[in-house]
Amino acid sequence: MFETNKIAQGVNVHVHQTTQFKTINFSIRFKDRLTVKNASERAILANVLQHSNEIYPSHTALRMVLDDLYGTSLYIDSTKRGDDHIVNLNVETVNDQYLSDKGVLEKVLNLMYIALFKPNLENGLFKESIFKREQESIVQRIESIIDDKTRYAQQRMMELGLPDHPASINSNGSIEQVKQVTNESLVAAYKNMLETNEVEIYVVGDVAPEVITSHIRDYFRFSNRKQLPEKTQSQLQTPEQSRVLEYEDMKQGKLHMMFFTPVTFRDEDFPVMQVLNGVFGGYAHSKLFANIREKESMAYYVSSSYASQFGLMFVLAGIDRKLEEKAVSLILDQLNEIKQGHITDTEVEQTKALLSNQLKEALDSARGQIDIYDQYMELAEDFEPAYLIERWEKVTKEQIAQAAKNMSLQLTYFLSGKEDASDE
Amino acid sequence: MNKMEFTQLEETLYHEELPNGLTVYILPKRGFSKTYATFTTKYGSIDNHFVPMGETEAVQVPDGIAHFLEHKMFEKEEGDVFQEFSKNGASANAFTSFTRTAYLFSATGRIQENVTTLLDFVQSPYFTEQTVEKEKGIIAQEITMYDDQPDWRLYFGMIENLYQNHPVKIDIAGTVESIQHITAEHLYTCYQTFYHPSNMTLFIVGNVEPESMMQFVKDNQEAKTFDAPAPIERIFPDEPKQAAVQERTLEMAVQKPKVFVGIKPERLDLYGPEMLKHELSAQLAYELLFGRTSKFYHESYESGWIDESYSFDYSLESGFGYALIGTDTNHPETFAEEVKKTIHQAVEKWPFGQEDLDRVRRKKIGFFMRALNSPEYIANQFTQYAFNGMNLFDVVPVLEQIEVADLQEAFAAVSAESQQSVFTIKSPEKQQA
Repeated sequence: MFETNKIAQGVNVHVHQTTQFKTINFSIRFKDRLTVKNASERAILANVLQHSNEIYPSHTALRMVLDDLYGTSLYIDSTKRGDDHIVNLNVETVNDQYLSDKGVLEKVLNLMYIALFKPNLENGLFKESIFKREQESIVQRIESIIDDKTRYAQQRMMELGLPDHPASINSNGSIEQVKQVTNESLVAAYKNMLETNEVEIYVVGDVAPEVITSHIRDYFRFSNRKQLPEKTQSQLQTPEQSRVLEYEDMKQGKLHMMFFTPVTFRDEDFPVMQVLNGVFGGYAHSKLFANIREKESMAYYVSSSYASQFGLMFVLAGIDRKLEEKAVSLILDQLNEIKQGHITDTEVEQTKALLSNQLKEALDSARGQIDIYDQYMELAEDFEPAYLIERWEKVTKEQIAQAAKNMSLQLTYFLSGKEDASDE
Repeated sequence: MNKMEFTQLEETLYHEELPNGLTVYILPKRGFSKTYATFTTKYGSIDNHFVPMGETEAVQVPDGIAHFLEHKMFEKEEGDVFQEFSKNGASANAFTSFTRTAYLFSATGRIQENVTTLLDFVQSPYFTEQTVEKEKGIIAQEITMYDDQPDWRLYFGMIENLYQNHPVKIDIAGTVESIQHITAEHLYTCYQTFYHPSNMTLFIVGNVEPESMMQFVKDNQEAKTFDAPAPIERIFPDEPKQAAVQERTLEMAVQKPKVFVGIKPERLDLYGPEMLKHELSAQLAYELLFGRTSKFYHESYESGWIDESYSFDYSLESGFGYALIGTDTNHPETFAEEVKKTIHQAVEKWPFGQEDLDRVRRKKIGFFMRALNSPEYIANQFTQYAFNGMNLFDVVPVLEQIEVADLQEAFAAVSAESQQSVFTIKSPEKQQA
């Protein structure tokens, strides 16, 4: 799928030349180990770098030049995956072969260089007003999670279930840590990112790999970097409480359950867990959807998801707050069905068909190609979708039942409306 | 089969109107594995007052019925249609808007089987009192979920502020109370009136061979019998030009206050090319006034009146439309004043020239080209445009013809003070810093 060239120690350029899209997509990913401090600093950093730079010192000036380049989109965000924290420069620009205007691509590469290497500094520090504003912006971003009750409930469950574990670290860090970041520490984080992080650079579009790779090598001049410190396998620890009930001013009850599975992304049984998740609650044909929603009419949404990086399985449902106990027991019944091998051929076949459909579909977007390759290249260097599809095909009902038996419910979290507030 | 070629975009669109009235579009996408199909009826939440097919008296149906009907289409005597799609490796879904109900699937194989499932399930209604009752619990949870989402409440609160009589002010899903009145008979009445092929469009985009797919759809349709197409009589109340409510505040638990300034367009009767030109012109005008490169955005961001949630939008349908400018902010009053001031100043003296227009036009063309990578965008947007007599692929040529005067004229129709309204959500107990 991608043609890979190493341009420095720890810096790779991956190019997929294709005429599928009318645009050219870039993604430059800086990977570091995930800590609350790191996440907090790098969330601010992404915003500050996106705001402006030395050449385009105001937000307006930068956005105007992007508009002029046919609305080229350029944004910098930060995210986490497993034990890694990733700062990502995303750029999408129209392929100039569809335009009467030529030379757009070179200008865009130059802008990417400016965005990363020519920050808006004053006496060696980021411009104070911009730093303050973006620091505040990240604080508010973290605070605003509570307005989205599903996200908030999931975050609360993680904090309660796996405190101090990478799985519960917010990709924006914590309010406390964000507030502690200084302009000096941000500059240090910036230098650290450019000089020591592993860098994966992706290009998808109708561009010749050798041409674009040599352009990138010339423009960015990344130095060799040492290997990141070895990952310390973070162990999952049984939470102190197994059931937590909390209240907010809201109408619907949010039920979130966390299961440990011993299987992660890197294990042989990884595909088994993916199929198990599909049969359990991953799709509209799943046991959770068919029984909790369609048969019992208890929920509009009820689903499971498998966090393969850590070997966690979650179940989420939005229900009437009086029905928590019934919902929990019905959800566990569905899992028991699977444990006992009460799985139909149809359920398994449907799940395999949808898993493979989803994977192929994701590859119909440039962003999807980059995300999937970036994730799976760890498993197989020349990753192709067929690699996963074949592994799913081999999964049997017995394996699914066995994997379900190894799952253990660790925490049931229920976020409920206050009694008086919600009776209308 | 008709063929439209869009040379510069390197796209070819095939289309045909079948004898039963169904309009079919097919757009092959080179290099894609997936095929995405939408089967859409021009029937949404605003169509609640109409003359049922074959009758003479108009009826008014309970709020939320188009959405309820959408849910119920998936359940058949022999089981759940989702299962059918899953068997063929397709993920299916549906949505109801103010003006449309769309059923869709995406798949990377067995496309004919999936197209058959899509056409057949939408064209074979099956409702019983029992299954209708059962659905009420599910939809009540869906409504409750939206009730807890401040951004949805903000959006709807604004529309309620702008519209006095028009049914666009009614929540698409209705209320927990209104859906209790829905019966199987209601569903059949709505179905028979609005799900005739002549009121529907099928759009298939992706890895598909147009000739054989068109023939396949034709064969499917010819095997079914439908009544002769008849015009649908929809009844809409008169709607005054001015906003229904100038200002309103809702108390709800939010982290920070949320505010929208809304503007109601003056002309709500536009259709076809005229509508396209107006909508694009007004969007460009609002982009210049409130976009990321505007003076307004710059000053508001620097002053801390707006944050990352800031957004603006202009959209127009037949009979209603709105410009919306909003944000989470600790200074909702200041924000609203500044928006109004910006509009007022632009009315007094239009501040933009050719260079500004050229820049935002390029931005919009670029956005459009990016969007053409998405089969979902093409199918959904094309259908929405087509129901309003517009062609999605005319967007670039029309953008290229727009002049500064067009922006000014379009803006003039969406700016009067009497058409403006402010809606705010604030936490009751929380003292804002």
